[in-house]
Amino acid sequence: MAAEDQEDKAVKAASETIVEETDLGYQVFNAPDESVLDQHDTDRIPRFDVTQEMLDEGSGDPESWLMFANNYEGHRYATADVITPDNVDQLELEYEMTVGANSSMEGSPVIVPGDPPVMYQTNGPSHVKAIDAREGETLWSYTYPAPEDAVLCCDDNNRGVAVWEDKIYMTSLDSGVQALDRYTGDELWYTSTADYKEGYSATWAPIVYDGILFTGSAGGEYGVRGFHCAIDAETGEELWRMHPCPEEEYIGDSIKQSGGTNWMSPTLDTQRELLYFNVGNPSPDFNGTVRPGPNRNTCSTIAVDIHTGEIQWSHQESAHDIWDYDSAQMRMILRDVEIDHRDYEGDIVYNAGKTSWTYTMHPDTGDLLVRGEPITQQINFMKMVPHVDEEREYVMLPGLLGGQDWQPSAYDPGTGLCYHKVLNTPHSVKWRSEEYRPGEKFWGGVVDVEPDEEDVPDDYNGHISAIAAVDPTTGQVVWRDWIDSDRYLWGGTMTTATGLLFAGTQNGNMVAYDSENGERLWEFDLSDKAIGGDPVSWYDPGTEKQYVAIQVGGSGFVGRGPRGDRLAVFSLEA
Amino acid sequence: MGRSYKPQITARERGKLTTQLGVAESSVDSEPTLEELRDVIDSGTDSQFATMGESIRSDLTGKLEGDVLESAISDLEEAFEGAETVRETGVPARHGPGDEGVDELYRELIDPIWDAYDHLVDVGLFESLEENLPAFTAEHIDHTAREVVNADGLLDDLTDCGFDDRERTALLLTVVDNNTRLSRWVPTRDIPDGVEFNVDYVPPLYHRAIGGGLLWIKALDRHLVQKEILLTEDILDNAFWRTKAILGGVYLFLRAVRDIATTDGELTDGQLVAALSAGAAITIVNMEELMQEVFWLHEEKRAPSSAR
Repeated sequence: MAAEDQEDKAVKAASETIVEETDLGYQVFNAPDESVLDQHDTDRIPRFDVTQEMLDEGSGDPESWLMFANNYEGHRYATADVITPDNVDQLELEYEMTVGANSSMEGSPVIVPGDPPVMYQTNGPSHVKAIDAREGETLWSYTYPAPEDAVLCCDDNNRGVAVWEDKIYMTSLDSGVQALDRYTGDELWYTSTADYKEGYSATWAPIVYDGILFTGSAGGEYGVRGFHCAIDAETGEELWRMHPCPEEEYIGDSIKQSGGTNWMSPTLDTQRELLYFNVGNPSPDFNGTVRPGPNRNTCSTIAVDIHTGEIQWSHQESAHDIWDYDSAQMRMILRDVEIDHRDYEGDIVYNAGKTSWTYTMHPDTGDLLVRGEPITQQINFMKMVPHVDEEREYVMLPGLLGGQDWQPSAYDPGTGLCYHKVLNTPHSVKWRSEEYRPGEKFWGGVVDVEPDEEDVPDDYNGHISAIAAVDPTTGQVVWRDWIDSDRYLWGGTMTTATGLLFAGTQNGNMVAYDSENGERLWEFDLSDKAIGGDPVSWYDPGTEKQYVAIQVGGSGFVGRGPRGDRLAVFSLEA
Repeated sequence: MGRSYKPQITARERGKLTTQLGVAESSVDSEPTLEELRDVIDSGTDSQFATMGESIRSDLTGKLEGDVLESAISDLEEAFEGAETVRETGVPARHGPGDEGVDELYRELIDPIWDAYDHLVDVGLFESLEENLPAFTAEHIDHTAREVVNADGLLDDLTDCGFDDRERTALLLTVVDNNTRLSRWVPTRDIPDGVEFNVDYVPPLYHRAIGGGLLWIKALDRHLVQKEILLTEDILDNAFWRTKAILGGVYLFLRAVRDIATTDGELTDGQLVAALSAGAAITIVNMEELMQEVFWLHEEKRAPSSAR
């Protein structure tokens, strides 16, 4: 039985919720006043704790996908090996589900192994369900009551859950974390991390380590001060709170609207017991004169002690950013890497930013070991943005969506390459300090995401996006597949132990590449909707099949494509 | 001949300076010194400058601790004496993780200033300047430049700190040659209510200028260490000169504030306003240049990668 055939109150509540752009940004309307839980065949969920040992093993277990990136190191690497370059053309659609929200579909489902494996799938606005991953049937579903006065810069995203012992954890649009019983969907505790009426929100998948849940902050476009906090996963009690932007690095009260939020999942180095955070742009986005100085730790990686929240080091990609070049990609930790030209051997921390550069950093200091060549074009890049009074067009590339935005990247230890979805989109930007104009949601400036053709620089190559492979030891772009569309390329990538790279495109195609050379080995036309989700994979010993799942649809607003609400699951028998 | 971090000054810039100061080019050499310019410019004081200066003194009388300011200026002069060793060192050494593991080169240069800076914040100096000084209009900048050149002590003091004539001219040029840029840095009161960000959280203009300049210098040690693979000698030259220029601006500013704190100040009220404005203007322009020259290391600027 497919989910769309089931009468489900929580799905109905989510599907009746409307997200609309208003003067203040995106807002949620017609959400339920109270949470809605609908339980179906909950007895089918195998009762056992998801232990820390299981989480530590991460992608080492081919039967599971237990966290957003499948391991703490942020690799998005699947060790299931049934699907190979030789047989990927036989991959078939096992089932599809209509998840019921027609909303943001940017998440990564989590797979808890068992008989049957259970999938925990989320989508906006604040909706999660447990699914029999073998049969494609909903076991329970839950919709959190998102308040109408919550304001969202970009969409009503929810990118997935964290799982630990008998609980799952979901961030909520009103800047909270909701803990649920993973067998029944019953509410266990809720912790608000900040006042959503100030502009704070939460959209990412949290992570849990050693009984501590880590969760961050969104809302930089609303002039909030970013934070990250650790919460007792058992009780919901806050253990520590860290502000990426230190007070002494800002002038006067500019700290109060510093931005520097942390709106994607952190990466955890279990050996060093450090969290590596992605940090967003300073606020306001484009008018830098009201926040002088480098605006320390915005657009940065920061390394933080997991026990105390103390910042150990930080590395900034865009000092005093005035282009909205926040650095949102979940970091990667790569072990025992050799960088010959630097005579370096050891671990590295790696990411790409909206700048389109990749950054290979020393894990103990943040010092740059390699800065990669640009993955996209860089035109009118890192120059002063003109004031609105100048009345001239300044079209920059990358635009304010990057480069590499939030889209989670993947790593293949076999090739040693990292895989990025990047945007090569020119945007026009001006800055100002004028009266607020309703309907213009960007702050301290004016943005045109579709500049007139005559204003676009002649040397723009016309390709809106690409999937690219980068060698983190040299920074070289090893291969790149330009993908053209009138929509933005959204969603993440996944590698497999057999040398495949999976990715959905904004044109609705699911693609499997040869991860070594970028050859397209398989394509499947899933929809006329953009694929905004991130592929995940697992092996089910009960069926002797390897599965690949992806969420299809939005983010329709930022991504410019029509919204959808499907979950597609492919399979191939061993 | 070894490298020089010294700023380059073009003939066009020199021409602009003499024009802005109201000096006929025929009345001075093609490359006039500041002393020569001083001899020929109109030495009259703008009455509005005098009024503004009087108001500032009135606002702050009895609030400023002269010892704190004197100590900062004295220590800053001392720091300037050894400043060029910072350029000779180039990139600070790293001996451990985090900022604490990076040698303090640039941070040492600004170390003498923090106590005075905190004191100025505490006594509300920046709010007073916000109240009494106008925006950086072209007219205000013109008057500022003339008053600074006219004030015997101000530019001479910079000489004592190791600024040669070319460097002092370059500082003055950053004031007179950047009307538009400076005008973008508006006083907080001129930002309209209802603007997209919270104006309550925008510090006074002069606070942003001086504090912002210090924060950029404070960030340099770590920046140079972390980005060493991208650096060229030109970038290091620029880092040093822009730092020195910002400190020159801060020095002028503190020198003026000290004048308020003493009963027998050396500056006229008009010169006081000029020194405050010039100091802030110099920090603004040079922090933006430091940002562009040293922090925004795009592909055309960076040192080549040995991996490619």
